[in-house]
Amino acid sequence: MLQETKVVTELAGTEGLRRLEVYEAHGGYGALRKALTGMKPQEVIDEVKRSGLRGKGGAGFPAGLKWSFVPRDHPGPKYLAANADEGEPGTFKDRWIVEENPHLLIEGSIIASYAAGIDHAYVYTRGEFFTARRVLLGAIKEAYARGYLGENILGSGYALEMTVHSGAGSYECGEETALLTSLEGGRGHPKLKPPFPATHGAWGRPTVINNVETLATVPSIINRGADWYRSFGTEKSPGVKMVSISGHVEKPGNYEIPLGTPVRMILDDLGGGVWKGRELKAFAPGGSSTPLLLPGNLDTPYDYESIAEAGSMLGSGGIIVFDETTDMVRVAEILTRFYAWESCGKCTPCREGTRWMLQIYERILNGGGRMEDLDLLLDICEGIDSKSFCPFGDAALGIVRSTIQHFRAEYENYIRKHKVYKRKFMPVRHH
Amino acid sequence: MRVRVELHPALKQWIEERFARYPSERSLVVPALLEAQKYYSYVSPEVEIGLAELLGMPPQEVHSVASFYSMLHQHPVGRHIIQVCHNVSCYLRGAEDVIAHLEEVLGIKVGETTEDGRFTLVTVECLAACGQAPVMMVDEKLVEQVTPERAEAALAEFD
Ligand SMILES: Cc1cc2nc3c(=O)[nH]c(=O)nc-3n(C[C@H](O)[C@H](O)[C@H](O)COP(=O)(O)O)c2cc1C
Ligand code: SF4
Ligand code: FES
Repeated sequence: MLQETKVVTELAGTEGLRRLEVYEAHGGYGALRKALTGMKPQEVIDEVKRSGLRGKGGAGFPAGLKWSFVPRDHPGPKYLAANADEGEPGTFKDRWIVEENPHLLIEGSIIASYAAGIDHAYVYTRGEFFTARRVLLGAIKEAYARGYLGENILGSGYALEMTVHSGAGSYECGEETALLTSLEGGRGHPKLKPPFPATHGAWGRPTVINNVETLATVPSIINRGADWYRSFGTEKSPGVKMVSISGHVEKPGNYEIPLGTPVRMILDDLGGGVWKGRELKAFAPGGSSTPLLLPGNLDTPYDYESIAEAGSMLGSGGIIVFDETTDMVRVAEILTRFYAWESCGKCTPCREGTRWMLQIYERILNGGGRMEDLDLLLDICEGIDSKSFCPFGDAALGIVRSTIQHFRAEYENYIRKHKVYKRKFMPVRHH
Repeated sequence: MRVRVELHPALKQWIEERFARYPSERSLVVPALLEAQKYYSYVSPEVEIGLAELLGMPPQEVHSVASFYSMLHQHPVGRHIIQVCHNVSCYLRGAEDVIAHLEEVLGIKVGETTEDGRFTLVTVECLAACGQAPVMMVDEKLVEQVTPERAEAALAEFD
C-alpha cells in the first residue's frame, strides 16, 4: 500500500500552522537561518542544483539552473515572481499550500531570492484567491515584524521586500511572461522570448519566476540536503511531487508522492480507486492541457520521462479521472470552450483556431455534426501546433486530439444519430 | 472637454498606500480595478477615468486592461455574484445540476441578474478546488462539495 512521502505537505493539518509561532515551533525558518547565516548565495544555488529540483508549475525546468541565469553583478533591482495563479483545470495544490502553510512559501521565496540576489519578491495570486491572499498578507506581516523580511535579514546584510499582487480572472496570466505583463499593469499578453525573464523580466529587470510548490520545496532541501531530496524519485526526475486527484475517484484530494510511483498505486492507494466501483475510461495525467492516457497506461511510472514516453505530460500534477460512463465529447467541448474563452487573443492561430474548434463542438453536440468535422478538428489542431505565440496554443490541442484518437466512436455516435447533448444550461461568456 | 472624477477616498487611499511597492504606478491597475468593485457595482467609464488620472495612464488603456479580465464587470451587476465552476472536474461531479437548480430558484439564466438586484449568476473556470468539486463562490466565499440543495442554502446569508 503506497504511503505518501510528505515534504511540502509535512506539517499539513498542524493546528494553527498559519501562525508564525506555530510554524517556528515546528522548525520553520530554520532553513532560512541556515542559508543566510551559513551559506553563500552560490552555495544555495549549487545545493538546489544538486538536488535536481525541477519546477512544479508545468514545464519541469531545473530550479537551481534557472536562478543561476540571473546576472549576479547587474546593477539595479532584480525581482522574484512567485506564481500563485493556479488556473490549470484539475490542479489545486498551490492554493492549498498558501492557505495551509503560508510561511513555507514565504521562507522558500526568501531563500530563492537570496540565492539569486533578488531585491523584491512579488506573489502573483489569481484574482479569485481572496482567502489565500488574506492568509498570505497576514503571514507576510508577521514575517516582517520578525525580521525575516525587510532590511538586514537575520543580521546577514541581505534585504528583501515582499508584496502580494492580485490578478483579476485570466488563465493565461499563469504563463510566466503574461504574468509579468499583467504585473506591469497590462492585458495578460505573453512576451517574446528571448530575451528571457532571467535577464529582461518584470519592468525590464532580471526576474525569476517560480511556481508556489517549487518554492515551498526549497526549505526542506536546505535543511536536509540535496542527497536526501535525491533519495526520492528517479535519476532524471528526482524528488517528490504533489498530485491533485480529481474527477471520478473515491477520495479526491492533494497527495505527495515520490516521482516514479506507478499511476495505478497513486489512483488506487491514495485516490481510493474509481468511484462507485466503476471502470476507468481515461485519465489526464497532469492537468487539462495534457493528452489523455488510458487504462493500459496505469503501470506507467509517474515521472516526467515516463509520462512523456506514454504520449502525454506530467504538467502541473493534476490527475483527472474519467469513469466508463463519461461523455468524452462533452469533456472535449468543455475544455475547448475553456481554451477558446481564455485565449489571450494576441496571436491568430490560437485565437481563431480555438474559437473555430468550439463552434464545431457546439455543432456536434447540437446534433448537426458532420463526419468531416473530425478531420477538420485535426486540421485546425495542425494549424495551431507549434505556430502559436506561447505554449497556450499547444495546450489546447491535447484534449481534442486524444479524444478523437481514442474515442472516435463516441464522436461518430453523435454525428450519425444526430444525437443532441442534453444541456441543462447554456454557458455564456460575460465580463 | 476633460472630465474629472473623484474616486472614493478609501479606494484612493488603498491605491496610494501601495505605490511605494512598485517601480511604476500603473502596475497597480489590475488590483486597483478589482478593489474598485468593492465601491462601485462595476467598472464604469467614470471609474476608469478616475483610476487613469491616479495611475498616470490614459483612460483608454485602463479600459483596455479592464476589458481583458473576467472578474472585472463592464456592466452593472447584482449585489452578490454567484460563480459556479463549470470546468471539467466539477462537471464530472454534478456541476450541471447545481447550475440548473440555481437558474430555477433564482428565475434567471447564467449571465443574468435577479430582478431585485440581489444576485448575478455566472459560471467560472476552474477555481483550483477540484478536490472538493463541485464548487462555487458567492462573492469572496468558496462553497465546496455543493449539491443543488446546498447551493441554494448557501445563498441565505447574502441579502
Ligand atoms: C497557459 C499557461 C498557463 C500557466 N499557468 C501556470 C500557473 O497557473 N502556475 C504556474 O506555476 N505555472 C503556470 N504555467 C507555467 C509557467 O509559465 C512557468 O513555467 C512556471 O511558473 C515556472 O515555475 P517553475 O519553474 O517553478 O515551475 C503556465 C504556463 C502556460 C503556458
Ligand atoms: S497562443 Fe497566442 S493567443 Fe493563445 S494565449 Fe498564447 S499568445 Fe495568446
Ligand atoms: S474544475 Fe471546478 S474547481 Fe477545478
